Amino acid sequence: MERGYWIRSKPLYDSLVWKQHATGHVVIAEGDGGIAVLKLFQQMCPREPIKLLFADDASASKKYADIITKLVPEGLQVCESGEAVLAALREQLPDCLMGTQFYVAGSEAFIWAVLDELKVFGVQDRNVEKELSGTLARSVYCVHCKTTDKNVHHSIHQCSGCGRHLFVRDHFSRRLGAYMGVMVDAEEPGNIPAAEEIYP
Amino acid sequence: MSVLNVKVAEVEQVTEVVKHFTLVQENGEPLPHFSGGSHVVVSMDINGRIHRNPYSLMGSTANSDSYHISVRKQENSRGGSVYMHEQVKPGTRLQITYPVNLFAISKLGRRHILIAGGIGITPFMSQISDLNRLGYDYELHYAYRSPEHAAFREQLQEMCGDRVHFYVDSEGERLDIPELLSHQPLGTHVYTCGPEPMVKALHLHAKNLGWPDNHVHSEEFTAPPSGDEFTVELALSGMEVTVPGDMSMLEAMEEAGAEPPFLCRGGACGRCELEVVSCDGVIMHNDHYLSDHEKAEGRSIMPCVSRAKCSKLVVNL
Repeated sequence: MERGYWIRSKPLYDSLVWKQHATGHVVIAEGDGGIAVLKLFQQMCPREPIKLLFADDASASKKYADIITKLVPEGLQVCESGEAVLAALREQLPDCLMGTQFYVAGSEAFIWAVLDELKVFGVQDRNVEKELSGTLARSVYCVHCKTTDKNVHHSIHQCSGCGRHLFVRDHFSRRLGAYMGVMVDAEEPGNIPAAEEIYP
Repeated sequence: MSVLNVKVAEVEQVTEVVKHFTLVQENGEPLPHFSGGSHVVVSMDINGRIHRNPYSLMGSTANSDSYHISVRKQENSRGGSVYMHEQVKPGTRLQITYPVNLFAISKLGRRHILIAGGIGITPFMSQISDLNRLGYDYELHYAYRSPEHAAFREQLQEMCGDRVHFYVDSEGERLDIPELLSHQPLGTHVYTCGPEPMVKALHLHAKNLGWPDNHVHSEEFTAPPSGDEFTVELALSGMEVTVPGDMSMLEAMEEAGAEPPFLCRGGACGRCELEVVSCDGVIMHNDHYLSDHEKAEGRSIMPCVSRAKCSKLVVNL
């Protein structure tokens, strides 16, 4: 980590906090995002209607659906999978009005999959509350062959599309929801640093 | 800053207080293309003092033969609008800046609500030509004082069809902003141009309903507020300029021969921002650019609309 150096495209995630001004609230979470949901519901609940879409995920450290079901009295829809959450969201968005606030929690790949759905309806990612939960795993886009690999945990990643060894950069594409991966031994072929697990 | 030399081809009295000017390039060449919502700054030499007023371009964005601006004669004018109304005739030569757009339609929007009050209709005239060309979903809400102030009503009906709604104040018709904002689908953007209370009301209602700031767009061309006389010292050139009460700090510096940067002259764009070295009083911030925090810090000033209540202000210019 170089001090004082920051790539501006790298997204910042925060803790979910209810927004004060709203006509409604939609919370979307998956897997370890469940803990972020529980933290959110420990805060004073807003008066406006709340909808919560949630799915447990096999790779998460814990199952949250049962606890959430006990705590969230109405507006909860527990889905089978992250994909099913996205499908349920897609169905609800046409009825949402301006002033609806969105809250997303889960892995980075899930967060950006949700933001992709919201973008279709003109909701900009900077206006959505986001909490990264559970894992720092990255989606990596190979700038050479345009393959995106999910769940990358290491600093150097071998692209599943072209086999190149990619250095995983902090440079993030909001459109692709992925970090840029660039060939690490382009200048000195074969000189590949050891891959380290830095995105557990 | 590069300028365009234009001459007035036509002047039309639109209402009792609004005149419409058609400008063509002096050398007969086409004018630069512009996008809907753009404005130009017109320079006027009034008794040896240069006035620069921004006016929205209201013609079709497809037309580069001429620019169209409309000017409302202001009762408490500092001279600019009265000059445009009384001195500028067909054939008059003027200098204008290249068009600048600080009020563009958001390409990320799925629906666009335009709210105009009085002469604030002008930037929407060119925006509508863009919206029609792009086939975007939009609505125009145009409020004005009384039937004789209905500038461009027929033209708007022709351009917008059933997308335009008129509100005539003297007939008791009022635009209910909270009602309008309360039932808009996701991805709606709202734009307003008009008197300050209307712009403020829109921002307030949108905020209360949970609209994100970046979905609310406004443009206000207000004359720089007047105040007390004070002295500005330009630290880099060593120049000392007295700012009279009825002149903006930017105008006073220009008058004294300095060439400070500027763009919108309305406290919106931030181009004229100057670093404050010292001030032995208080800065009267009148811009919409600096955050409340930055205003409180007092390390920057927007000389186009802001001034100081002090004996000496030193800026890094």
